[in-house]
Amino acid sequence: MDVAQALEDVLEELASIQKEVNRLKTASVSGQALRKHVKDAHKNWLPVAGVLEAGNIVDAAQVQEISDAWTALVKLANSASPKKQYKALLKTIITNTESELLHKFIKGSAIQTIGDTLRKLVQPIGDAELLKYLDESIRCAETNCVRASVVLAWCAVAYMIHKKLRSLGIATLNAEFARMKADRGLMFRGFTKDYVFSTDPDVQEAADAHLILLCRFLTYLDDTQYKHLKSALDLRNGCGHPTGYQPDPVKLQAYYADITQLVLLNPKLA
Amino acid sequence: MLTKLKADFEEIVELVNKAPAPLQELAFKMILEQWFVANTTLKAPAIAAVVPPTPPGAPGSVPEAIKPFLTANAITTDILGKVFHPIGPGAQLLVSDIPGGGKATKLGNLSLLLCVKQALESGNFSCTLKELRELAVHHNCYDSTNFSKTLKAKKNYFKPRDKGADLELSGPGLKKAGEIIKSIAAEV
Repeated sequence: MDVAQALEDVLEELASIQKEVNRLKTASVSGQALRKHVKDAHKNWLPVAGVLEAGNIVDAAQVQEISDAWTALVKLANSASPKKQYKALLKTIITNTESELLHKFIKGSAIQTIGDTLRKLVQPIGDAELLKYLDESIRCAETNCVRASVVLAWCAVAYMIHKKLRSLGIATLNAEFARMKADRGLMFRGFTKDYVFSTDPDVQEAADAHLILLCRFLTYLDDTQYKHLKSALDLRNGCGHPTGYQPDPVKLQAYYADITQLVLLNPKLA
Repeated sequence: MLTKLKADFEEIVELVNKAPAPLQELAFKMILEQWFVANTTLKAPAIAAVVPPTPPGAPGSVPEAIKPFLTANAITTDILGKVFHPIGPGAQLLVSDIPGGGKATKLGNLSLLLCVKQALESGNFSCTLKELRELAVHHNCYDSTNFSKTLKAKKNYFKPRDKGADLELSGPGLKKAGEIIKSIAAEV
């Protein structure tokens, strides 16, 4: 069963019932046709509820709550009942079905397929060290830990950038940082930090924002690429610190597409 | 190569003349560029930089299947790059705000953009309803009670399909998708 489609159909029916109820000029709903419409809609709801209860994408307690509201609605439809009660129940069912079931189901089913999508994006990567981070990140995504997934994927980015910059040699790296500091260009004039590395692991102490700026300075990235990578770093920072931001699978997919293209598969950084 | 170009040149001009007058210059550039891609492995000249030749399937390379769509709608890689990134496999929609006044219009436009995104990935101008719902929720244009109705109202943009089946762009759909891409790029 296409659950999203089935839920949409149920909501469509509920919306049409709501319209009919609102159109009534009487204080109670007594028409046979309308009451039958409610019962028929309930029959369409039952199989969807069964599938949702059996799955683990949405909260079973929410399904139960909505099912209880349906039972109350059907009870109203057994005889002539006040329009006011219909309106309240219909509003509850529609609102909760949309926000607590349908939207959560759509996001949840995206989580179920996100692993395949992300694996496809990183498939051409051969570096075992990078794949360790990426695999862990993808497994986080599959368990709906999107923020953790973002942070771990950035580890792969940082690993690759560190590796590339270290390959220049510490002396050259120090010199390039000094050259970037002296550059008065629009993009680099804000960079004022002094970096003096003495050993390879020292590079890990540098701020990622400065390292990617150096990649731009060394023309491993062009302006647009740098801008997109900076956005990816901002997302990583938003996820790695206590903030209220919760990215969804669509955002994660876009983030992965960016870091893969800009860094992980960028021949200039290989 | 020059001899071959001379031989093909008349045909190229003939093709260009079939395009509407305002688009002839662009058509000439694009056809010439395609000619160079097909006939040389040397670095393309500046005039051919609209769609740079890159290995198929490489990140940032435009799939062959989408090139006729770009040519027919006068969309350069520069325009495309303002809407999708990268402009090849792994493409993502760049816009944070889908054009349109209401949820229905936005959903319609999103469905067209999503089909183009898929074409950048696989060469097919299609998308699943699952993908569309996920992106519609993300872009806040998902109206559950009117989702099917909206798609039905815009059925001329898609090839005939059964309820719940994937969407595939029709001729008018491709044209409309081209218009949306250009309007987004013009605002960036």
